[in-house]
Amino acid sequence: MTINTHPTLPEFEYVRPETLAEASEFLTRYPGEARPFLGGTDIFVRMRDGLITPNFLVDVKKLDGTNDLRFEPQAGLTLGAAVNMNRVIASREVQAHYPLLAEACRSVASYQLRTRATVVGNICNASPAGDTIGACLVFNGVLHIHEVNGLRQEPLAEFFLGPGKTTLKPGDIVTAIHLPLPPKGCAGVYLKLGRNKLSDLSLVGVTALGHPDPSLPSGYRFRLALASVAPVPLVPTQAETYLANQPITPETIREAAHLAAEACAPIDDLRGSARYRKEMVRNLSAKALSEVWEKLK
Amino acid sequence: MSLTRSTLWVGQSLPRVDAPGKVTGETQYSGDLSMPGMLQMKILFAGRPHARVVKIDTTQAEAAPGVVAIFTAKDVPVNEYGLQWNDQPVLCGRGQGEKGSRVAPDVVRFIGDQVAIVVAETEKAAAHARDLIHVEYEELPAVFDPLAAMQPGAPLVHPELGDTNICVHDRLRKGDVEAGFAKAEVIVESEYFTPVQEHAYLQPEAGLAYIDEEGRVTIKAGGQWTHTDRAQIAHALGVSDEEVRVIYPAIGGAFGGREDMSVQIVLALAAWRLDQLGVRRPVKIVWSRKESIIGHCKRHPMRLRAKWGASKDGKLVAAETEIIADGGAYMYTSNKVLGNTTITSTGPYFIPNLKTDVYGVYTNNIPSAAFRGFGAPQALFMAEMQMDKLAEKLGLDTVEMRRRNALRDGDTLGVGTPVPGPVSILHCIEAAAQHAGWEKEPDGWRNVKRENVQPANLKRGRGFACGFKNVGFSFGYKENSWARVELHGDEEIEGVVAAHAGAEVGQGTHTVMVQMVAEAVGVPLEKVTLMTSDSAGMGNPGSASASRMTLMAGNALKGAAEAALAKWEAEERPAIAEYTYRAPETTPFDKESGYSTPNFAYAYVAQAVELEVDTETGFIKILRVVSADDVGQAINPALVEGQIEGGVVQAQGYALMENFITRDGYVLTDQLSTYLIPTILDIPDAVDSVIVEVPSPIGPWGARGLGELPFLPLAAAIAAAVHDATGVWFDELPLTPERVLRGLGKI
Ligand SMILES: Cc1cc2nc3c(=O)[nH]c(=O)nc-3n(C[C@H](O)[C@H](O)[C@H](O)COP(=O)(O)OP(=O)(O)OC[C@H]3O[C@@H](n4cnc5c(N)ncnc54)[C@H](O)[C@@H]3O)c2cc1C
Repeated sequence: MTINTHPTLPEFEYVRPETLAEASEFLTRYPGEARPFLGGTDIFVRMRDGLITPNFLVDVKKLDGTNDLRFEPQAGLTLGAAVNMNRVIASREVQAHYPLLAEACRSVASYQLRTRATVVGNICNASPAGDTIGACLVFNGVLHIHEVNGLRQEPLAEFFLGPGKTTLKPGDIVTAIHLPLPPKGCAGVYLKLGRNKLSDLSLVGVTALGHPDPSLPSGYRFRLALASVAPVPLVPTQAETYLANQPITPETIREAAHLAAEACAPIDDLRGSARYRKEMVRNLSAKALSEVWEKLK
Repeated sequence: MSLTRSTLWVGQSLPRVDAPGKVTGETQYSGDLSMPGMLQMKILFAGRPHARVVKIDTTQAEAAPGVVAIFTAKDVPVNEYGLQWNDQPVLCGRGQGEKGSRVAPDVVRFIGDQVAIVVAETEKAAAHARDLIHVEYEELPAVFDPLAAMQPGAPLVHPELGDTNICVHDRLRKGDVEAGFAKAEVIVESEYFTPVQEHAYLQPEAGLAYIDEEGRVTIKAGGQWTHTDRAQIAHALGVSDEEVRVIYPAIGGAFGGREDMSVQIVLALAAWRLDQLGVRRPVKIVWSRKESIIGHCKRHPMRLRAKWGASKDGKLVAAETEIIADGGAYMYTSNKVLGNTTITSTGPYFIPNLKTDVYGVYTNNIPSAAFRGFGAPQALFMAEMQMDKLAEKLGLDTVEMRRRNALRDGDTLGVGTPVPGPVSILHCIEAAAQHAGWEKEPDGWRNVKRENVQPANLKRGRGFACGFKNVGFSFGYKENSWARVELHGDEEIEGVVAAHAGAEVGQGTHTVMVQMVAEAVGVPLEKVTLMTSDSAGMGNPGSASASRMTLMAGNALKGAAEAALAKWEAEERPAIAEYTYRAPETTPFDKESGYSTPNFAYAYVAQAVELEVDTETGFIKILRVVSADDVGQAINPALVEGQIEGGVVQAQGYALMENFITRDGYVLTDQLSTYLIPTILDIPDAVDSVIVEVPSPIGPWGARGLGELPFLPLAAAIAAAVHDATGVWFDELPLTPERVLRGLGKI
């Protein structure tokens, strides 16, 4: 079946397998020619711009479990790949246990776009600007991946290799992202800076999560993830370690923000200079950590 | 002037006549058009800033599947066009068309120059074949910086036109500037930079061409002036105007960007040549956003230097100004735009001594041309900033400073002749100031102190600025507009058919036309049928630009209605009358001094802005804009508010966000994901439209013009508010967060 879609979208064949096994098999049969897709909000733009020209788009939205949004009080949240961001935002369980994830989703484009866009698509697209990736990182997300030989799990922290590059091989289909139970008493924020307030990718995005942790000298663990300031979504571990070991004060928060800024390696691009981005990491990290601290103390 | 009777339809906020079609999706824009047997066209753009076309090889492309024909320079009878000067080839290359042409047709002068067109059965086939055309180029040295382009020895963009790239030089010489500065208590000297702006209309260029039932080459594509589109197409095809027909479908925005040609001539060429080859089939093209951004003109970027002096009592005594504008590769309307820059560079103020030089310079950038405000926003950014800086030095309130210098009836403009009255800038200043919270005290206007906000990184400020601009065409052009009104019925008028070819580009002009016809004839609105937007069978409407359509079309329709009513009285059935309204005459600048009567009418505006600067991120949030615009008479107040809000938002984009980035003539921001315009979440929290009505003696029911007004002063008002908030002057736009932080010394 050939679809003649938007005049400037190249032609491609739409494939909708019945099972995950079938899907993985198809993707393995046409490596480099076939791609899985969810909402299509990244893939269609890239096809329109001529950056990629897949012959087959494999729709994985109807496959086993990809539509589930499940919270288990013992295990945490399993977010099926096909669950769109508006569903995430509207979920009572997400609101109750992972409000940071809902906040991150809300920062993505417009309501209309979010009825298509998915968190897993955001992750698989592997743009350092992905707004929902930080929340998944600081909650220690784990990807569930279906491959020709079965299933595997992969920590999100090890998933990204470079802009648009991941550990995924042909035939791999991410079926869900799993977030373990949130740490007790945690609080988080996502601060996004875009050139406009609706639909620009982040110039800089700062995700911060904090929670009490008596095992640490400071008594608190802070997690940070930075968007758009490195080839991959960045976790500035020095800043995190620093706050684990120092009493939390406005001064140590500023120092941690400084360490976060030092950890990043932004580039100059059309949206902003490296210098500006670095400065924004400093300011927004300080702001994000302070806001989290306000909620914790 | 007061209205002799109360009006029926004029002054009412009636729903737009085009609303139902647009809301239901029934209305067809150029991109929606289709006809049986239609072919698709693609354009091969040069994609290089300066080069000579040595050879075009189309053999491989012609053999590609689905291709019907490929046309190049060889197929263009007269290979030149232009709205002001014919300095641009239709298709770059050698052929028959250079006969009599002023410029070398085989030279590409910017990346968007067109080299070949491919007509095929499908869009895909056309695109595929386009990529198989082989063009051999000889690269030529290029120039992108207008200042460098002015230097002797710079590469010439149009060597055939002379030994300089300077294509416009306007001068004003009035009084004695040296003597004037000698009287100055304070002098402010500054250098300003204003950026390129992309029109970013919702609908990219598109169109359909076919041979109509009378054998005319017919082009359906959005534009702003049916008759000049037609004239330019006819010129290139070497045929008479009557052999060409231009029809406007619904137009998705224009803002000046559709005054010059984009797809029209090549569409016409394709349909016309195909017909000669025995293929009588319609041809369609739709540009992508990228093609639109590289393919059509932009707002002139300018460097503006000003030295202004004021006396102790705050009166301007002298101004010396030099403005250099990048005209890009072709003239388009640069000469007219810069004429306007010249006139408005004084601001709406009386300045006794003036020395002004305004230059337009050819470069290998995308041509600059008309854009809402037509050269005035840049000049006013400079003038209004100068006013604020002088006021600061004198310790005067900004509103008070403006009040003291505002043009009054009888004052002479920079061109040495009196400004046509009544001058209403003072009305606008007072209306805006009062509404925005300034207070009038015995010793003048005073800005009421603002409250501080928390957190400390948010700084609030207020700014004020003014603007003025001509309504209608100027500089000696014999400004006119044609209309026809037919009255049908027997005992009483049962139906009115009015014809006016003026373009509805989204501004609501067809609605006010219907209101004005109903008013002039004295019938219910439902009885009026409006025929529009066709060059065939209708006289010249003039352009939907220069804020002129309400005044010009209104006078034309009113004149035709009155003539038809006279015939009705004389028992003619149907009573049909045509009328061409001719505006008062104007004259061009004197070459040395600028002495002239360049315009027959002006309109005025004053704005106040309240905003918040985040000194940690550099982001500016606009809390409130007050815009007091003198429209003479609001024919439809809701539409006036729509224009004010739209103009403010577009100007906000210009001032804060829109950042057109090029490198060596190539556009790096060629999509709306890289070139951003404000979204619904970025616009001011409030835009308060204050409609001022000081009737124009020559306007229909006193109406002046409006479209450009709300755009004019906003950038300056924003920069003034940022200064008020932070203490820093920003002399370069746009005020992106990075530029703000750099100005604040934070990065
Ligand atoms: C107007 C607009 C605004 C945007 N604004 C934002 C924004 O503010 N913030 C932001 O982060 N993003 C933004 N985006 C980008 C995009 O919407 C998000 O990245 C979105 O989350 C992608 O999800 P999707 O389901 O549409 O992915 P798709 O386009 O379907 O897929 C994305 C990529 O992942 C791969 N993929 C998809 N599913 C799988 C799977 N199951 N297994 C393996 N690989 C897979 C695809 O092959 C593709 O390469 C915007 C996009 C547009 C068009």
